[in-house]
Amino acid sequence: MNTGLQTASAVEDAALSAADLTYTYHDATTPALRGVSFAQARGEMVGIMGASGAGKSTLAKCLNRLIPEFEGGQFHGIVRIGRRSLEHLRACEAAAEVGMVFQDFEAQLFSTSVQLEVAFAMEQVGMERAEMVRRLGPALEAVGLAGFEHRDPTSLSGGEKQRLAIASVLALRPSIIVLDEPTTDLDPEGKAEVFALIGRLREQGLSLIVIEHESEELLRADRIIILRGGEVAADGPPARVMTDFELLERCDIRPPSLNRVLHLMGIGGHADSVDKAYDAIVRAYPSLRDTQARGDEVASAAASDKTGASEHPMVEIAGLSFSYPGGARALDNIDLTIGPGDFLAIVGQNGSGKTTLAKQIVGLLRPDEGRVMLEGRDRAILRPAETAREVAYVFQNPDHQISAATVWDEVTFGPRNFGMQEDEIERRCTEVLEAVGLTDVRDSDPFLLSKGERQRVAVASVLALRPRLLILDEPTTGLDHREQRRMMALVRQLNRDGIAIVMITHAPWLVAEYARRVVLMRKGRKLFDGGVAEFFAQHDLLSRSSFRVPEVTQLGRRFGTMALTAEDLVARLKERL
Amino acid sequence: MAIYLYLDNRSFVHRLHPTVKVAALFVMFWSVYWVDNPIALVPIGLLMLWLARITGSWRNFYRYRWYFAILVATTTLMWMFFYRQGAPLIDTRFIHISRASLTYGFGRGIKLAELLGASVLFLSTTRVEEFTVGLSKLGVSYRVGFAISLAFRLVPLFMDSAFTIVDAQKLRGYDFESGGFAERMRKYVKVVIPVFMGALRRANNMAMALEARGFGLRNNPTTLIEYPVTARDIAAAAALFALAAGYFMIYYTGYGAISPR
Repeated sequence: MNTGLQTASAVEDAALSAADLTYTYHDATTPALRGVSFAQARGEMVGIMGASGAGKSTLAKCLNRLIPEFEGGQFHGIVRIGRRSLEHLRACEAAAEVGMVFQDFEAQLFSTSVQLEVAFAMEQVGMERAEMVRRLGPALEAVGLAGFEHRDPTSLSGGEKQRLAIASVLALRPSIIVLDEPTTDLDPEGKAEVFALIGRLREQGLSLIVIEHESEELLRADRIIILRGGEVAADGPPARVMTDFELLERCDIRPPSLNRVLHLMGIGGHADSVDKAYDAIVRAYPSLRDTQARGDEVASAAASDKTGASEHPMVEIAGLSFSYPGGARALDNIDLTIGPGDFLAIVGQNGSGKTTLAKQIVGLLRPDEGRVMLEGRDRAILRPAETAREVAYVFQNPDHQISAATVWDEVTFGPRNFGMQEDEIERRCTEVLEAVGLTDVRDSDPFLLSKGERQRVAVASVLALRPRLLILDEPTTGLDHREQRRMMALVRQLNRDGIAIVMITHAPWLVAEYARRVVLMRKGRKLFDGGVAEFFAQHDLLSRSSFRVPEVTQLGRRFGTMALTAEDLVARLKERL
Repeated sequence: MAIYLYLDNRSFVHRLHPTVKVAALFVMFWSVYWVDNPIALVPIGLLMLWLARITGSWRNFYRYRWYFAILVATTTLMWMFFYRQGAPLIDTRFIHISRASLTYGFGRGIKLAELLGASVLFLSTTRVEEFTVGLSKLGVSYRVGFAISLAFRLVPLFMDSAFTIVDAQKLRGYDFESGGFAERMRKYVKVVIPVFMGALRRANNMAMALEARGFGLRNNPTTLIEYPVTARDIAAAAALFALAAGYFMIYYTGYGAISPR
């Protein structure tokens, strides 16, 4: 469905209008965008969603002339800001009209201080110094970085870096700001900071286009455009688009969990907050209102959720402390055991020590104090390669692992290093490729695969060693809903096959739906270690740690029950009817 | 650990005009280039150490202490194989140790260490933005100057990425430590490929982000920070000219050679 047929007056009044945008990358045969048209009213916030490869980033680049100016390829269509066509502008000229904030915040900061970073774009357009000084303060004020003028951008947190990138765009005072997945690489605190800023910018009347994977984040947008296969599949208010489950499923978008609860309860409709979902449910089922007092369900669910320590743990960590050279203490007196078959999620803010802890387990780092025992042996006397067949580690960025010319060579790399027989390698690696669903691309260049596929190549390449413990660092970052589900289905199956899983993640829903045990880290210390239901029942602790409780769990609490998924909550509520 | 060397201090070197700082780097390279004699290299070495102290850059020198030591030691050692002049103290088929070979090798090592020292001093006291401005004032186009200065910022990021990749390969049983020198070098191809691919992706993302910030719109962008030329800059330029001329004279008169002409 292409609903981009606006009236002439609507287009003329629009802050931005795109007409019939069609684009084919220079090395592709099929278009990445096909006839996309839409108009954005002044002050409107438009959310753009879609699976990987749907054309979201391509569309964003068309809006500020990076396509075709930077990317080349075949482009057709017109973008207008107000009545002015951008057709004859270079990308650097369009920068003053359409500001762009990218996902990779590291790649869009070029300066050695916050104020120089904000000034960078103003310098490029040749702005007078006095004017730059006038704009600098308000831009930093708007993003909450006033007082940071002389800080080195590399010393900022992820959320602060992304806000700085937004400030440098704001300083040019563009008509539109396009944010291309601005929070994908951020922890929950950073995400909250950026979305709070987006909310403030919206209140100030700025026209915003926000591209996101996560449906929850766009529930308060004025409009949502869903792309599929380079075409507009839907364009309308969230209340309509985000309640069309068939459409969302077809477009590989995870439905907002609150809407899903309403749908499963047979109520339907749209809720952009826990309060609204609660009101809708008690309006439809007034008898549920009286069940709030049954708060004991939360406590009993949490109590029944205790995970006992394994009698024969694979990993035993005792009194582990570690500091990086010249740095603060990264791990502080950690005790932890991981048993065979565990499914453990390690959560916490960036810099809380999650990855450092994982690196201690695999032997990439050595403790300053305490010890890490692996199968009863002291980790300190073992080299990483010696235990690679027992403990495997999948890095957050799969490109850090991939180095071979084909998928097959990549997967056989580990077994060959251990001098396995060819027939054994053939058998194992064939099995592994089948398990991760990459048999069809075994002879492909791994660098040409999608990120989700590269992530699975990275997993396959360590699975070929048949480890008993698999550590995954942010396994779903940057993947769309379908790829996330596929990756996590694989991980769950591996766990069912007896492999212990340690998953480092920022995503509350992953913890809720997949993990059985949670470790919460903060400033190098372990604050919590227990079952998932018990974890989500720790209201104060989670608030202090800026860990966002999934909406479904929050809604469950309003009814005095503990639920981790929409299905779980609906089942509990229906029992009471 | 900080991945960049710049230290935000307020020493007189920090406050010099960017053009003078770039010229100072060039003069130090020039001066070190002309002489081989370790004794002749002592004054400029002492000058660097003094500057390191007053600019607060000493901590960066300390951070790289092992690199300095390795440069001097390996270069001295290497020239025992190739420099075969002077009365031998030890002479075998491969190794020729003489007072001359030791002096020559040590001189070469000090030279390399001083080139590294000049770079550390420069990067400790000069922001990349100043580097761009300095190059631009010396006639290098803004785009080229920006690319050069940006490269200085990216090197530590690529190093960081390379270390992560080495870890990833080790965890799949890849042994970087066995075999001879050539064999070990060959094994590092497994690191170079992902670093290179990562660098390409990052460079592409950065180039896009630059365009989206208006980079390339003008050949001479304005600057937020003013860089006035002061008496301090003129005095520093004169001192640098004297240093360059002095070292050229040391070379010209033959005192910079291992054996005076």
